[in-house]
Amino acid sequence: MSLPCGTRDYTYDTDMAILRTRTHWVLLIGLLVFVFTLPLYLGNYWLGVSNLIGITLIAATGLNILIGYCGQLSIGHAGFIAVGAYTAAILTNRLELPFLVGLLCAGLTAGLIGLVFGIPSVRVKGFYLAITTIAAQFIIIWVINHWGITGGFVGIKVPYASIGGFVFKSEASQFYLITTIAILCTFLAKNLARTRVGRAFIAVRDNDLAAEVMGINLFYYKLLAFFIGCFLAGIAGSLLAHWVGFMNAEHFTLTESILYIGMIIIGGLGTTLGPILGVILIRLLQQVLMVQVVPFLESTFTALPAGFATGIAPMLFGLVIVLFLILEPRGLAHRWILLKSAYRLWPFSY
Amino acid sequence: MKNKRFLIVAAVICLALVVAIMPLGSACAPKAKPGQVLKVGMTTPTTGAAAEKGSPMGHANLDAIEYVNAELGGAGGYPIEVSWLDSGYDAAKVATIVKRFMDEKCLVFTTASSAEMTWAMEIANRAEFPGLASFTAPSIYRPPKHIYGQMPDYGDDWTAFANYYLKNIWKGSGKPKMALHLLNNSTGYGARDAAKAMAEKLGIEIISTDEHTATTISEMESLTRIKTKNPDVLYISSTPKPTAVIIKNARDLGMFPGVTVGLGHASITKALVDIAGADIVEGVYGVFPTVNWGDNVPGMAKMTEYCQKLHSKDYGNMDYITSWAQSLIVAEILKLAVKNAGYDVLAKGDVESWRAIETQGIQKLKDFKVGGLHGPASYTVGDNRLSKSVRVFQIKKGAITPITDWVDAPMVKYEEFPWFGK
Repeated sequence: MSLPCGTRDYTYDTDMAILRTRTHWVLLIGLLVFVFTLPLYLGNYWLGVSNLIGITLIAATGLNILIGYCGQLSIGHAGFIAVGAYTAAILTNRLELPFLVGLLCAGLTAGLIGLVFGIPSVRVKGFYLAITTIAAQFIIIWVINHWGITGGFVGIKVPYASIGGFVFKSEASQFYLITTIAILCTFLAKNLARTRVGRAFIAVRDNDLAAEVMGINLFYYKLLAFFIGCFLAGIAGSLLAHWVGFMNAEHFTLTESILYIGMIIIGGLGTTLGPILGVILIRLLQQVLMVQVVPFLESTFTALPAGFATGIAPMLFGLVIVLFLILEPRGLAHRWILLKSAYRLWPFSY
Repeated sequence: MKNKRFLIVAAVICLALVVAIMPLGSACAPKAKPGQVLKVGMTTPTTGAAAEKGSPMGHANLDAIEYVNAELGGAGGYPIEVSWLDSGYDAAKVATIVKRFMDEKCLVFTTASSAEMTWAMEIANRAEFPGLASFTAPSIYRPPKHIYGQMPDYGDDWTAFANYYLKNIWKGSGKPKMALHLLNNSTGYGARDAAKAMAEKLGIEIISTDEHTATTISEMESLTRIKTKNPDVLYISSTPKPTAVIIKNARDLGMFPGVTVGLGHASITKALVDIAGADIVEGVYGVFPTVNWGDNVPGMAKMTEYCQKLHSKDYGNMDYITSWAQSLIVAEILKLAVKNAGYDVLAKGDVESWRAIETQGIQKLKDFKVGGLHGPASYTVGDNRLSKSVRVFQIKKGAITPITDWVDAPMVKYEEFPWFGK
């Protein structure tokens, strides 16, 4: 990590620390205070959007480990989220097990299913692997729709999350639960990237042949990436199920899977910050278009053919994504790094 | 002279009485002060997979409210303010939309499709926030909670069509063989649930149940399989696009004409005729819970006028009628709630207001005619369907023509069947 001029590390502990200066600590604490006091300023709707962002962030972080760090393309992420959601729903609704058991099992089940669909990654990669993971999306959703215990096409109710008798009923309490887990997952992902496992992932991503020559077990590390990525997807699915309260397979479409890839590309692949920025941008963009732009267009351009004005919103959504990819192909995280560097060097250009 | 004095005294007393009574008169019809509105949340899938239905439905919702505010003085003297949002037929968006409606202190919310309400209902039920869905399925309000159905559901369609078929079309002996072709969501599964619950009782043999997606482009494989079982009836509960594909494929395979084709109400709209072509769908039967355009009912003239004025391209679309009627019902619910609970209770826009809307508005609905646009809306304890009757239609020379009067759809307590929801 680049540090301000004059900052030195005198011990291994300080060299390894994520937060290395007092400014880092102040900024982090300030950010956490801001995040955890959001329920004081936001209404239920914006807290709901924040919860959706938190859940999406957990899933996107998992996908970033899989694609961004390990280079294993997956287009079936919504399917793995569905596995987690339905595991939690079945365990807490049908078997009446505690929320935390459901949460853990959701992660583990999604991770194990991810292992199954990750096995082809040993033989195929790139677009070929993408096609095999699309199969995961379709097979998982088909099973959910046709297996009686899941409620089939009708769906299944999911109770509120609860820990030790405390029920997370209000939007604010759900916000604290989801945000805490999202922060823990982000912290896990950040640390994972700095471990031997993380370095192995990056080696596999950059050149799997060279990685194998260096002694990295490709089979083990590719499947481990699938397990961790899908484990986080399962955790996100469990939280989504408890938050919405009712699940059917239409929550987990192929479009959602593709959107997740869009989020991590826009945010910045292979960085911890990338999924955070990408998820916030896409989810907020969706809400702004839905709440502000569409009603405005529909009420302003009444002379246009029916549905035309409303149809502009999805076009705008696509346009924003295209512009981001053209103007900042390395993602928002890279733009943030440039911004920080410029701030440090100011008033000098380099 | 005495008479003159008496007349003057009498006139003064009369004048005084009139002056005294005038405020009472105005009190009978409350007049909204500036800023006093009744807020309603409405969402339709104006973009996304169901846009061909959602777009005219959204227009109709808003056009009807404009009519109510402009010509009927709002609901109970208070203008109705609509917060309208396009759901994009997206589950995650619907979840946040409901929360927004609650935050905006909306008194009640509406959805167009049963899928939207499926995604919204648990959030709304948990908060006791009342919702009204145009198109519904049994899973939405069985067992009944805070979500209501404007019209009979997809299960009721199946029952009404099955009854009509047995009485008027079936000429053979024994049980007629019916094949079900269902959209893979609550639209299709509402019909499946009714068939499971009622087929045996009515004397119909269900020989196959096939599913299709909203984006299907060919059903040749499933129809070939169905054809080998020699069905007498093919019942489709879906949306116009996939229905058009299935009927075209059935024609290509030589199944239709020959096999009777019956449709649920999400399938049989003008969009179906437009997409498939009038010659392809000629002779198809369908069940729909509203009247048709041009029918001689009291509410037709105003609806036609507003449709022609504001969204003339939607003229002829039966989904427009559905949502126009939905907005009229919402206005009536608000009117009843203002009358029975008072504006002050509703102004809060909180759980107390929502309870008032349910107990003093929705549950007080009694034989509301909805301008004759569909069956009368009444609340019956334990049955959250407000209108309970449908009509059978047939497509003749490209026109969706009614062939029966209103047929009542009986309530089915699905939750008493062990398979329901599994």
